Amino acid sequence: MKKAVWLALIAAVAFAVPLRAAEKRDFFKVGVVTELSGDLATGGNVTKRGYDLWAEAVNKAGGIAIGGRKYKVKLYYSDAQSNPSQGAAAAERLITQEKVDFILGPYSSGVTIAVAPVVEKYKVPMITGSAESPLIWKQKFLYTFGTIPPVNFTGAAAIQTLAGLSPAPKTAVIFGSNDTFSKATAEAFESAAKKAGIKVLKFNIVPAGQDLTPLMSAAKVLNPDLVAFGGHDEELIKLVKSLRQIDFTPKALLMHYGVTEPAFVEALGKDANQTFGGAVWTASEKTKSKILWKDSPTYAAAAMKAFHVPADYTQAGSSAAGIAFQVALEKIKATPPISEAKRAELIKALEGVDVETFYGRVKFATEGDYYHANVGLNPLTIQIQGGKVVVVGPKRDAEAKAQYPMTPWDKR
Amino acid sequence: MELLPQALVDGIMLGAIYIIIAIGFSLVYGVMHVIDFAVGEWIMLGGFAGFYLNEWTHVEPMLLLPAVFAVFAVVGYLFQPLIHRVLSGHRGNPLLMGLVFTFGLSLMFRGLAQTFFGFYSHSVPSRFSNGSFFLQEGGFSMTVSSVRLAGLLYALLITGILHYLLKHTDFGLGVRALAQNRDAAGLMGVNNKRTSAYVYGIYVGISAMTGVLIGMILSLSAKMGPDYTIFAFFVVVLAGMGYLAGVPAAAFLLGIIQSFFLIYLDPGYTLLAVFAILYTILLVSPRGLFGKGV
Repeated sequence: MKKAVWLALIAAVAFAVPLRAAEKRDFFKVGVVTELSGDLATGGNVTKRGYDLWAEAVNKAGGIAIGGRKYKVKLYYSDAQSNPSQGAAAAERLITQEKVDFILGPYSSGVTIAVAPVVEKYKVPMITGSAESPLIWKQKFLYTFGTIPPVNFTGAAAIQTLAGLSPAPKTAVIFGSNDTFSKATAEAFESAAKKAGIKVLKFNIVPAGQDLTPLMSAAKVLNPDLVAFGGHDEELIKLVKSLRQIDFTPKALLMHYGVTEPAFVEALGKDANQTFGGAVWTASEKTKSKILWKDSPTYAAAAMKAFHVPADYTQAGSSAAGIAFQVALEKIKATPPISEAKRAELIKALEGVDVETFYGRVKFATEGDYYHANVGLNPLTIQIQGGKVVVVGPKRDAEAKAQYPMTPWDKR
Repeated sequence: MELLPQALVDGIMLGAIYIIIAIGFSLVYGVMHVIDFAVGEWIMLGGFAGFYLNEWTHVEPMLLLPAVFAVFAVVGYLFQPLIHRVLSGHRGNPLLMGLVFTFGLSLMFRGLAQTFFGFYSHSVPSRFSNGSFFLQEGGFSMTVSSVRLAGLLYALLITGILHYLLKHTDFGLGVRALAQNRDAAGLMGVNNKRTSAYVYGIYVGISAMTGVLIGMILSLSAKMGPDYTIFAFFVVVLAGMGYLAGVPAAAFLLGIIQSFFLIYLDPGYTLLAVFAILYTILLVSPRGLFGKGV
């Protein structure tokens, strides 16, 4: 009996292998490598929501229209576990075992930098809907694209907005966590501050996840007008609490990604108010599109309905990554499964993408330091006002006046 | 120089957090010879219990601490037999078995927490979180956060209670006897299984309360566990494995080193400094700061 079961099993495997080789399918296999667990799971799951929403919307519309036929998309997830080497292994598995047609990339810059050489090796296009470190684009990977502009492109805008406030901040303390994205954010803040004539009194890169209260005590003595910090969600919450606990209110507090995450306001309540942040998209931004969602509010409403949490720019950027693939695939009329030659063609098509989406304009740079990053967007400066994300700069996009200087903690 | 009192105060407050993270961990190692790698997850689960209890009842989280302790002490008490089973019998290396088992537990708890509590970070709102005292004397000034001060008092209180329990009660005598020699203690009538279960219950209860406090002072998330496990381990190694009385000194030392580095030297090298000092002390005195560890 046992022997028969074994034989049946071996036979099943033997038959299954040739079936796989002669793969024919009427849907696109889309690999997704992102951080579904570990330290960066919050952001990873934000990207997942963005990718899921895109896939759901595409499939609801019947699929991607190519040559009069519609092809649905199916997402294949692989968890990067917030670890660059796991991310690289996850991408390899998706490419060699699942044989995905293209990849939607990780949340964090650290994992993206590890995954990029893998997709380069197997010549599989990847668009990350989230990673923001300029280091990724400087390496000029042919097969890696990103829908969010690098942080030195966006972070500088926030400093410029602050420099235009009255009375303009004259001094700053700037620091960042020691990870790829946060460090780049802090460096972007520093160089923009120097350019804007703001004197940087202290600049530090600190180990991630630490209690920074003593460092804030040291900052308090310097009494800077501006405190700017590059970090991830939980670190931002801890930092505001530290400032609150040592009772130090600078004139302006600037952070970057994470301020727009609903958890920031939920965890801090009224202490979250008046924090500045950088963003490239908000739910109320004026955009117009013919693909899937007609504008930002429509997307935001769809996201709210699906996940019951407000969408931020990373989630929107992730959905836009799907749209970019969709547009390029339609242009080259690629049908699944996509061959290596067709994938090379897809890269050319992606480089030519210039499209208005609900998220704004998507256009990838084809040369220079921002190579393959989306440079079609305007960086926005946002501020939390009354628990909501409000655009306060640049002037032509502003929805409200910046609240400045910050109200002291005990007067809120 | 004007920052010196602030650096010391910040270091002591940080040390207080390390005490409450590590003291139960040290006790469990001393008695049960288990390096409990799930300590960070017990802290996390306790923090979430406090968070949801507060959301539900709107009672000040400081007042919820006894309730959180009671619930988790029972959980720990009921859980201990599982660990006991892994450690006992004819197994090769009980220390390693305990380590692997609790490491697995930590992974499981973290995964379950991510599934049930979500990925977002939270904060346990407390009226203590908002206040601070500002003291000024001559050229020196410092700010003391009330919630951190409450944390320090809590750490001292827990240390005091544990000290009393161990040194002045029959139960404590049993616990110390077990820690010294399990077989001899058994022959003297100490019930190993039951005493260990009580100790594990106390440890889980303390860790859970610590979680609520950390949620008030810092933040709370399903993925926070490993950060705290590592510090618990460092404090206990520095204090001497299983040497409970060394924990407060080791915790304050780590806190003050960290604070001085963050304020005076390069913040980027804080953790490097902590590790370097830890290794140096272990090289000079392998059984911890006081040479009294196992």
